[in-house]
Amino acid sequence: MKTLIELHDLTVRRANQKVLSIPLLSIYEGEVLAVVGPNGAGKSTFLLTLAGLLRPTGGKMTFAGRHLEQWKDLDYRRQIALVLQEPLLLDRSVLDNLLVGLRFRKLPRPQAVERAMDWLNRFGVAHLAQRPAHSISGGEAQRVSLARAFVLEPRLLLLDEPFAALDPPTRTDLYQDLSAILRQNHQTSVFVTHHLREAAFLGDRIAVFSEATLKQVGTLEQICQHPADVAVAEFVRHFSEEEFELK
Amino acid sequence: MFDREVFQITLLSLQISGLATLLSLLIGLPFGTFLALSNFRGRSFLLSLVNTGMGLPPVVVGLFVAMLLWRSGPLGKLNLIYTPTAIVIAQVIIAAPVVSGLTTAALQSLDPRLRLQLLGLGASRWQMIWELWREARLPLLAALMAGFGAVISEIGASMMVGGNIRFQTRVLTTAIVLETGKGNFGMASGLAILLLVITFLINWVLTHLQQKGVRI
Amino acid sequence: MIPLPQRQRSLSFILAFCLVINSLSACSALPSPASAERSTLILATTTSLQDSGLLDILVPRFEAQSGLTVKTIAVGSGQALKLGSEGNADILLTHDPEEEIAFMQNGYGVERIPLMANQFILVGPSSDPAQVKGTSIYVALHKIAKAQATFISRGDQSGTHKIEKALWAKAGIQPAQEPWYLESGQGMAATLTIASEKGAYTLTDRATFLVTRAQQNLVILVEGDPELLNVYHIILVNPQRFPQVNFTAAKAFARFLTSPQTKAFIRQFGQAEYGEPLFMLNNGP
Repeated sequence: MKTLIELHDLTVRRANQKVLSIPLLSIYEGEVLAVVGPNGAGKSTFLLTLAGLLRPTGGKMTFAGRHLEQWKDLDYRRQIALVLQEPLLLDRSVLDNLLVGLRFRKLPRPQAVERAMDWLNRFGVAHLAQRPAHSISGGEAQRVSLARAFVLEPRLLLLDEPFAALDPPTRTDLYQDLSAILRQNHQTSVFVTHHLREAAFLGDRIAVFSEATLKQVGTLEQICQHPADVAVAEFVRHFSEEEFELK
Repeated sequence: MFDREVFQITLLSLQISGLATLLSLLIGLPFGTFLALSNFRGRSFLLSLVNTGMGLPPVVVGLFVAMLLWRSGPLGKLNLIYTPTAIVIAQVIIAAPVVSGLTTAALQSLDPRLRLQLLGLGASRWQMIWELWREARLPLLAALMAGFGAVISEIGASMMVGGNIRFQTRVLTTAIVLETGKGNFGMASGLAILLLVITFLINWVLTHLQQKGVRI
Repeated sequence: MIPLPQRQRSLSFILAFCLVINSLSACSALPSPASAERSTLILATTTSLQDSGLLDILVPRFEAQSGLTVKTIAVGSGQALKLGSEGNADILLTHDPEEEIAFMQNGYGVERIPLMANQFILVGPSSDPAQVKGTSIYVALHKIAKAQATFISRGDQSGTHKIEKALWAKAGIQPAQEPWYLESGQGMAATLTIASEKGAYTLTDRATFLVTRAQQNLVILVEGDPELLNVYHIILVNPQRFPQVNFTAAKAFARFLTSPQTKAFIRQFGQAEYGEPLFMLNNGP
């Protein structure tokens, strides 16, 4: 498996406080890495750093074989695509929302429209293409937001609790569709979630954060049966046996 | 009543206030955007200054600009006193804070995470700003209309730095004051209605654009 | 780059184009500072003179003849003299003898030339509640004070206002705090309108009264009194004191105003429209 990203002793400091610490992590091409942990554990900070929106203050990070310092800021950011908790659609048609990122990359309109319609279709919302973005439901909007990121065909897809604002049925529906699409496309992605169950379902590996540090990476079994430290064990303990069985 | 002189006065009013509004947009839009999106120590202070500037009485601005441009003033050599340029200068000082303050408010009313999302889709800084402007187009157009409204209707500054000189710096508002002072209420009312109609028409066009969501 | 539908893109271009063309034409209408420097004359004068319409004819004539641009700033005599005392005007046309003399004594002006004069008159409602018709000005003022009849003053430090105050003073009356004495703070025409609306008395120059007569229902009650003469002087601002003034232009304008052709014009100005000339010429050199 080829490595896309490597992190060595990566630290991010803000106002003299260490807000992220990653001793060692490799992210492989085509894998889905789930990121879990209690609130304030540094998950979002991790995501923003991967997105190129936060500069590491120490340590080493390579992306596609090149050191982070060797990447120009805009070039790096155009390798990734970000999906947040809220769909954050722009006040225009659904189709135009999809075209935004493609426009940034100067893709000619006819090709852009073709790609956009294809992705809207894959997420089951093609029929909404001409609708104003504010007129669709929450679940539909999050699908559009996902399509908007996928259409960019990023080397790395980053999702920050993308289902948190949805009700349970919509949520289940969507992450099942998402899982299928991720597999189909071998899309490398990192997604943050509060739900261990979701993490287990979608993720090839799970990374557990706690106290602003990456504590452990592994499969669900590894984490549950051999927790790296007390904090990880505590975190895992909060989830009942039944949740795990539903894998 | 609607003779060549009225036409000339009307055209001059529109040229002066139009130019002043355009310049205020060129100054106020970027500055207001900068204040909205940045974070630095003196930011709050600058913002308060801008908001105070929004409420400056035109006659006060006129007085200070006149003091600068009078022959006896520091910029007297420029010979700008009692010219349309002087009125434009004063009107820019009046309208730029309005445009800037309302631009800042317009951008701050957007979801703060929108910036992050746009950057996360690969926007450069300028592309991000452009998209934010598009998102805030309704309140930004309102800012433009407010800036224009502030200057097309002001008298104090036009009077002080323009001097209300016939064929040179007489605009609709100062002409109305003159005719009222002379007791020609008929003429004054006629000019007043003309001013209102023109202002309404301009705002109608801008509002139409605003509401149709025309991408400018 | 930005995929705008054709129609909306055209509309935006048209708007932007109009704005730019408009502004550019406004810019080209603005004289460049350098060329404006020696070809601009700033004339500070009184609202009453401006309202009479005399300058609307004389100034363009002078501009055509001389090629200069005259900027006529019509404010109260007080403000006109103030502008002159700071070198912010090149030539003054005022009617406040006391202040003018002080102005000259302070060295702000280098020449003071009487140009023309008109009469002040006391006007009021035809009902004349204080019964002042036909009396002399001082008697009239006494009667008004006694009857507590409403009197509107300019209250704006203008030439007219100063003369009005001087007359009250000479009559030995202090009207300032009296309830029947109102100050408009505005120009002559506006003050006449107020007097007309309130059925009150006021002091006005004959020229403004004649010009605005149609809009009021006031009648002339006291006139011809020698105390009521109102002389307009030309004052040239001192170029030694204020090097920035355009002295050559000021001299040219003064020459123009005192030329026989201009004097002849002033002598008959108003005759056709109001039945009598608005100004009398000063019988001087």
